[in-house]
Amino acid sequence: MSGFLKILENEVQIAALIFMAIVYILRLAWIFRFRTRRDRTFAAGRESTGAGYSLMNIAMPGAMESTRKRPGFYAQFVIFHLGVAAAIAGTLIIPYAPGLFERRPSVLLFQAVVAAAFVVGIIRLVRRLTNPVLRSVSSPDDYFSLVLLIVWFAAAVLAMPNQPGKGEGPLIVYFGLTAFFLVYVPFSKICHYLYYPFTRYYLGRSLGHRGAFPPSTKRRVAPVHGEERT
Amino acid sequence: MKRRRPGPSGVVEAPLNATAQAKAKDEGRPSVADGRLQTYEPGDNVRRFLELLSSRVSRPLAVSLTACVHCGLCAESCHYFLARPDDPTMTPVWKADQIRRIFKRHVDWTGRVAPWWIKAGSPRNDEDLNRLKNVVFGTCSACRRCTYNCPMGVDTGLLVRFTRGLLTELGVVPEGVFNVSRDQWETGNQMAVSEQDYLETLEWMRDDVRTELGDDSVEIPIDKDGCDVLYTINPREIKFDPRSIAQAAKIFHLAGESWTMPKWGWDQTNFGLFSGDDNLGAFVARNVYEAAERLRAKRIVISECGHGYRSTRWEGYTWAGYDQKLPTESVVVTLKRYIEEGRITVDPSKNPDAVTFHDSCNIARSGDLVEEPREVLRRVCSDFREMFPNRRENFCCTGGGGLLSMAEYRPLRLEVGKIKADQLRATGAKLVCTMCHNCIDGLNDLIKHYKLPMRVVQVLELVSNALVLPGKGA
Repeated sequence: MSGFLKILENEVQIAALIFMAIVYILRLAWIFRFRTRRDRTFAAGRESTGAGYSLMNIAMPGAMESTRKRPGFYAQFVIFHLGVAAAIAGTLIIPYAPGLFERRPSVLLFQAVVAAAFVVGIIRLVRRLTNPVLRSVSSPDDYFSLVLLIVWFAAAVLAMPNQPGKGEGPLIVYFGLTAFFLVYVPFSKICHYLYYPFTRYYLGRSLGHRGAFPPSTKRRVAPVHGEERT
Repeated sequence: MKRRRPGPSGVVEAPLNATAQAKAKDEGRPSVADGRLQTYEPGDNVRRFLELLSSRVSRPLAVSLTACVHCGLCAESCHYFLARPDDPTMTPVWKADQIRRIFKRHVDWTGRVAPWWIKAGSPRNDEDLNRLKNVVFGTCSACRRCTYNCPMGVDTGLLVRFTRGLLTELGVVPEGVFNVSRDQWETGNQMAVSEQDYLETLEWMRDDVRTELGDDSVEIPIDKDGCDVLYTINPREIKFDPRSIAQAAKIFHLAGESWTMPKWGWDQTNFGLFSGDDNLGAFVARNVYEAAERLRAKRIVISECGHGYRSTRWEGYTWAGYDQKLPTESVVVTLKRYIEEGRITVDPSKNPDAVTFHDSCNIARSGDLVEEPREVLRRVCSDFREMFPNRRENFCCTGGGGLLSMAEYRPLRLEVGKIKADQLRATGAKLVCTMCHNCIDGLNDLIKHYKLPMRVVQVLELVSNALVLPGKGA
């Protein structure tokens, strides 16, 4: 392995990660700068239950009409994000636990997951380019982020056998893109995972307080003596 | 089959009509003179808009403004888009993006790095603000159906109300919104009902119930101290259809309820919810809460009204900075309790026609009542049938979000009402029951426009019909 690749796999990644962490900390500080208001009403449900339900929405495709009616879309979502997780894992396995990728079944499993995500990425790109609704709202960042991920998936598939002796090109592209991602992500739509817990928590807390989350057809007891309960 | 290709709705270009605002200013109307209600003044409105935007964003709003990934899943949850599938400007994501892009440009520091890269931008002038007004007032009923269908939990309904509030501060509002807000600020009720009209109508309804029951002891008490129930209503009941007041009075009488209506603070509706004006919301809600406190009532009961219920039961306490002290409930919950406790007796065979139920968005999605009205309807109707989808997935009647007061958006409202009309028709019901006065008018518009063979009723009417009067049997 060349010295350049070694630095790229280690020091460059760590520096990029530190940069990302700093921007995320600033981002979180910015979010917490905005005020929230206390709900002054008697609760009809539990805020914590509502927030928990809302946060688990990601694993409940039946909970929303939009995903219930489009199971294919939900399946794409799962595959795409598993691919992201596998590709991130690859950037840690190669420098820190290379033994795992010395076993061919492991490599094939990771490659299969990332390749599936690559295919989903292509489908998503075609959808974004051809669907008038998506075109009307898409920004350059929306397209760029998706293309970047697709290229990154492809690089990950090629790099995962981790055989620098046969050519360092795939590994250099994979780790180079990873470093670029770490710097770019905090400024792009890709960092939506940072906001997901906030949006879902606040929505779930509010609707949980009102007894709307989780939805239930359970018979509710009418309030009698000033205490409202489910 | 050839796909229909409607042109742009034209709504976004609707001009700002500030005639009523100018008249109110010339006449020195108190709400305008003392600054509670803002009027449109040509000038530096963009700067003021941006200042308001920066200062008013809360954390739940800020994360809703940053979290959208433009997946487009919300599109098919919106009745506007379902009715106009070839018009991307009808999608929740496009509508929310009109405020999101401004937020990203001026408040979100990551958006300032390269605004064009994320489509961030600024309103250039008052015309742009007027277009924004048309988007948030004219193409969205703030029903929050998209909120429930967003994988990220983006609350587009909340964003729309927030944006409406900023524009209301600048007087960049539909004329109807200005007029109703003015009336509610100045008279304490959104239909400018005078105290005399209010009291006379209550007397008239009391006399009707006395005649119907043959019982001169029936009362509609006003400002009676120490009652168990303070009953609050929608001014529409006084102005257009007071039968619901008589029905409530009859049921309270038969249930032996200790109840009263306040002379001031009787309007449970709240146009602040629609205009986004938290100050108006606080004023109106506080009127009700203080009436209950003044009269030492033990419970506030809200007549059937979707936005009134949401405002008085949920949002109003927060707007008013007023900790809830009393149980505050919909009259439907009260009716359910009477039936369960045997305080009134009902006979479902007295309502033989097929009845379906329309969930009000403000009650089902932004409130807590979904099963309660159904439990009552199953007890008082012999043929209750669901429409689909229902409960929290129900479609808006198209009259929500204050749209009934905005005449300029009526053609689009009726067009997108096709989704609701199809839903109603599929039930085969003769009666559609709803616990919301805006829904009554919204549904009536659709029934007339789409020639549906059905009539709108409320839960009170069906319970009243089904009553078994003491000594008269079933």
